[in-house]
Amino acid sequence: MKSLNLNPTKHSLRLRTPVLIAFTSVWILGGCASAPKTPEGAVMARGKLTQLQNDPALASKVSVAIRTADAAVKAAEIPRKDKALSDHLVFIAGREVDVAWAQAKTRQLEDQRAGLTEQRNTERLDSRTREADRAQDAAEQARLDADMARDDSVALRRQIAELNAKETERGLVVTLGDMLFETGKSQLKGNAAANLAKLSSFLKAYPERTLMIEGHTDNVGSDSSNLSLSQRRAESVRTYLLEQGISNSRLSAYGKGENTPVANNDSISGRALNRRVEVIIANPAAAQ
Amino acid sequence: MIFLTKPMIARGARMYILSLLALATSLLLLAACASKPLPPTQEISAAEQSLTDAEQARVAEYALPEMQRAREQLSEARAAVLTEDMVKAKRLAQQASMNIKLAAAKAELAKAEEINTDMTKNIDVLKEEMQRKSGDTQ
Repeated sequence: MKSLNLNPTKHSLRLRTPVLIAFTSVWILGGCASAPKTPEGAVMARGKLTQLQNDPALASKVSVAIRTADAAVKAAEIPRKDKALSDHLVFIAGREVDVAWAQAKTRQLEDQRAGLTEQRNTERLDSRTREADRAQDAAEQARLDADMARDDSVALRRQIAELNAKETERGLVVTLGDMLFETGKSQLKGNAAANLAKLSSFLKAYPERTLMIEGHTDNVGSDSSNLSLSQRRAESVRTYLLEQGISNSRLSAYGKGENTPVANNDSISGRALNRRVEVIIANPAAAQ
Repeated sequence: MIFLTKPMIARGARMYILSLLALATSLLLLAACASKPLPPTQEISAAEQSLTDAEQARVAEYALPEMQRAREQLSEARAAVLTEDMVKAKRLAQQASMNIKLAAAKAELAKAEEINTDMTKNIDVLKEEMQRKSGDTQ
């Protein structure tokens, strides 16, 4: 074409100019028609991505995935003559956008879990609170009981001191000496009542306490006679307490004979210590 | 430029034509090279690896269509390598990877939904229990 224009004559120029214009315009038109446009798929992917980006609560959770998807969509949006490449890029872009959406929704659900856990804890707490409210009367009662028990224990200590009792693992042990009995007799002496009165008032004050009454002797006399004597002495104490109105079910009496001395039987004073009645006041816990 | 004489111009034109020819030849050679690229080993093995990972994570239970399509694309990619259509092979492998990536994301979403549904159910059970208990005392 250039060579044609290189040696123009006026005549040929006039003839050829419209031809040239027509040719050029056709060529431009053709160029327009065949010029690749942004693929439809890329437009759709862009729309979905924009929708995600417009939801800041979602978008902030997956900024990396959104950046990846944005790059893929940008690559797909470029008009290309290569249809296969364009389709490929559109496919990738669409998938990247879907991935970003799925990840965003997943993060949203994960973030909701903190709230759900809190809600569950609140429900549990409410449940416990109601249970606690329901139990409050009982708890109050228990507290009052505990207070009373504490007051009791103060009084109990005073009483124990008066009884001259010893705290042992078996319970409180009150040793009643042989001055309660005449030698070889199981009858209580007249002055024994003063000692035993304290015991009976203690039992009246603490109706949950039970007593074990054990009779002991020195080694004078035969084993069997000592055993029966100790038994009878224990029974005497029990009878006295029964007469004072203590329930039979709280009292038990045993004769232990001469086999559990607390002192040496070789001396008069030792034998005197061994002739005794031990009253064991069981601990409430042990009694239960 | 100073030495430009008529014979020299003629020689310059010949040189010009020759260099044009050389350029065209090298372009042709380059084009020949470009049309026969290496197989997309990296893309295919990447897709295979993510397919294995996804199978182990039981992704197919949650996103079966994507996983099936990925398997198809991967075998299509291998077939394209055999017919030496490396561009197609590479794209298919990349698309397979992309489908697996989406399948995995969908599976994660489905699992997250399951967990949240369970938690919500538990809360409802607690609520019911509480209502029943408070009903007992009334």
